[in-house]
Amino acid sequence: MDILTALGFRASGRNALPVYKEICVLTIFFLVLTLIIHMYRITDFMIFCIYVMSFDLLYGYLGLLSFGHVLYLGVGVYISVLFSIYINSNPLLSLLAGTLGGGIIAAILGLIVVKLDGASFALVNLAFSQIGYFLVSSTFQKLTHGTDGISSRVDAWGFLNFSNEYITFSFILISMLLVFYLLRKLTSSPFGVLIRSIKENETRVTFLGYNTFLYKWITFFIAGTIASFAGGIYTLYVQYVSPTVLNPLDNIDPILAVLIGGAGNLYGAIAGGLLFMIMKDWLSSHFAVWQWVLGIILLIISFWFRHGFTGFVMAIRNYQRKKAVIYDQNGAQG
Amino acid sequence: MVESIVYGFTLGAILYLFSIGLSLTFGTMKIINFAHAMAYTLGVYFFITFLRLFPGAFCISTFLAVLCMIPVAYIVERLIIRRLYGESLDYAIIATYAVLLIGTDFIKFVWGNVPQQVSDPVGLSISIFNFIIPVYRLIIIAVAVILFVGLNILLRTTIIGKIVIAALEDAEGVRCLGVNVSKHFSIVFIFGTLLAVLGGILYAPISAADPYMWLNILLIAFAVVILGGMGNLNGTFVSAFVLGITMAITGRFWSQAADTIVFVIMALVLIFRRRVA
Repeated sequence: MDILTALGFRASGRNALPVYKEICVLTIFFLVLTLIIHMYRITDFMIFCIYVMSFDLLYGYLGLLSFGHVLYLGVGVYISVLFSIYINSNPLLSLLAGTLGGGIIAAILGLIVVKLDGASFALVNLAFSQIGYFLVSSTFQKLTHGTDGISSRVDAWGFLNFSNEYITFSFILISMLLVFYLLRKLTSSPFGVLIRSIKENETRVTFLGYNTFLYKWITFFIAGTIASFAGGIYTLYVQYVSPTVLNPLDNIDPILAVLIGGAGNLYGAIAGGLLFMIMKDWLSSHFAVWQWVLGIILLIISFWFRHGFTGFVMAIRNYQRKKAVIYDQNGAQG
Repeated sequence: MVESIVYGFTLGAILYLFSIGLSLTFGTMKIINFAHAMAYTLGVYFFITFLRLFPGAFCISTFLAVLCMIPVAYIVERLIIRRLYGESLDYAIIATYAVLLIGTDFIKFVWGNVPQQVSDPVGLSISIFNFIIPVYRLIIIAVAVILFVGLNILLRTTIIGKIVIAALEDAEGVRCLGVNVSKHFSIVFIFGTLLAVLGGILYAPISAADPYMWLNILLIAFAVVILGGMGNLNGTFVSAFVLGITMAITGRFWSQAADTIVFVIMALVLIFRRRVA
């Protein structure tokens, strides 16, 4: 199969659900959520959800655990901020610049890291994210103002005025739904089946004649690009950046979010992103030292709840369905 | 320049002490152990506490701190690592990282966030050809070399060592011979942790202790282990010293790039080497 047909957005037959329904549900869900939590926080959560979805493509679908995904988020933020200051203050162009810049870096580094498996993959990514942190905080200090951080200079473009809370919210909601739509199509296409097969057994996929390196590289590239897209949106929303966005210790955030939600499921990524952010907000505003709670949750998940929140929901649903079937059979007999 | 090279050897010695545990754990149990970094930091904090109790008694405090870490290492091995044998690598990474998070917060909670200084216990310097070299650094290098030789002798001559070498090759095969592998893994794990604690304590007078002191050395030690070959003990020794010297020499000319050069070397090696780990 050549790449184009593999990437072609063909739904894989009977398993495909109507995507428009899912998008409607998500839209309504997030709009209702604004009634409970302040819109400002929800906007933040949605950016994080985009980021978590990109990580889910890499970890949940392809099965590569990266300990350095924060690099692509940070690169997206930095490139779009610098673009808006030095080249053009159009918000969409700086978003595009951040996305492309992060994508190019993911494409180059992907050539190195995708060759690795398991442990080395995780660690080399961690090392690259450390290099990124070092570069922005000291090497390019003149450009990035080091640890002081810089403010972006994004102007309004048409009605897209990012100092307006409602417009920002709608723009980011639409972006998130767009990413969801694209990833939904991608993961239910033959390409998605292929990368899931690589997760299950790469050797067999190689024996079937596929160049697994290429598909892993493409997935890595897409995941990096979407993470940078999240970074670019973050710039539009926060309009300020400091090296803390690239803090290597934050690499655990998307991993934890994906695990909470359930890996290999886009709903899981969104649910996990939301739950993680709500938990983090609550804990960090109530306790000075709070990361140990994350540690305990991670331990519980890695020992007993490996399918996360969505796995839990599905188990309940299956249980109810089984009960219904038994009830029907009993009814038929009686 | 001679000072830089001696400093590089010192750094290499510390890196070796830290990496050997990581390499052994990966080689035998196939687990990437982030909890190693927790033990390293916690050991240093124990040491500082003992040093306050017995001022000036560097050796006694070191001994007590290393002793205190034995139960900690055993608990981590028993409760976390042992549950993850043969499981997917991802969950092992995540669970040991969780231990690291909990340990770091424990340290922050008990000892606070402020970096703690330890003074040089020897305080003497000797001058060789007009270069002034602190004796303490030479002692660190000597300790690492002695431990390297001792470890090799132990592994070659004792029955435990032979089982460990065999398990590095094929843990499943050793299990089939009727050897209680997990008991030996447990010993290896505790031993590796204690070496890391010793490395941390020896390094404390050169640097300072803070709750995130593990981050830098952990990243560099991963590079050491990847370059030396995971589970390859002699390879770990060589790559630790090579990277230590490279860092010291780079640091002399461009101090900020000292850490980054390690990852650049790692990336270059990974590009040109086909098979890793």
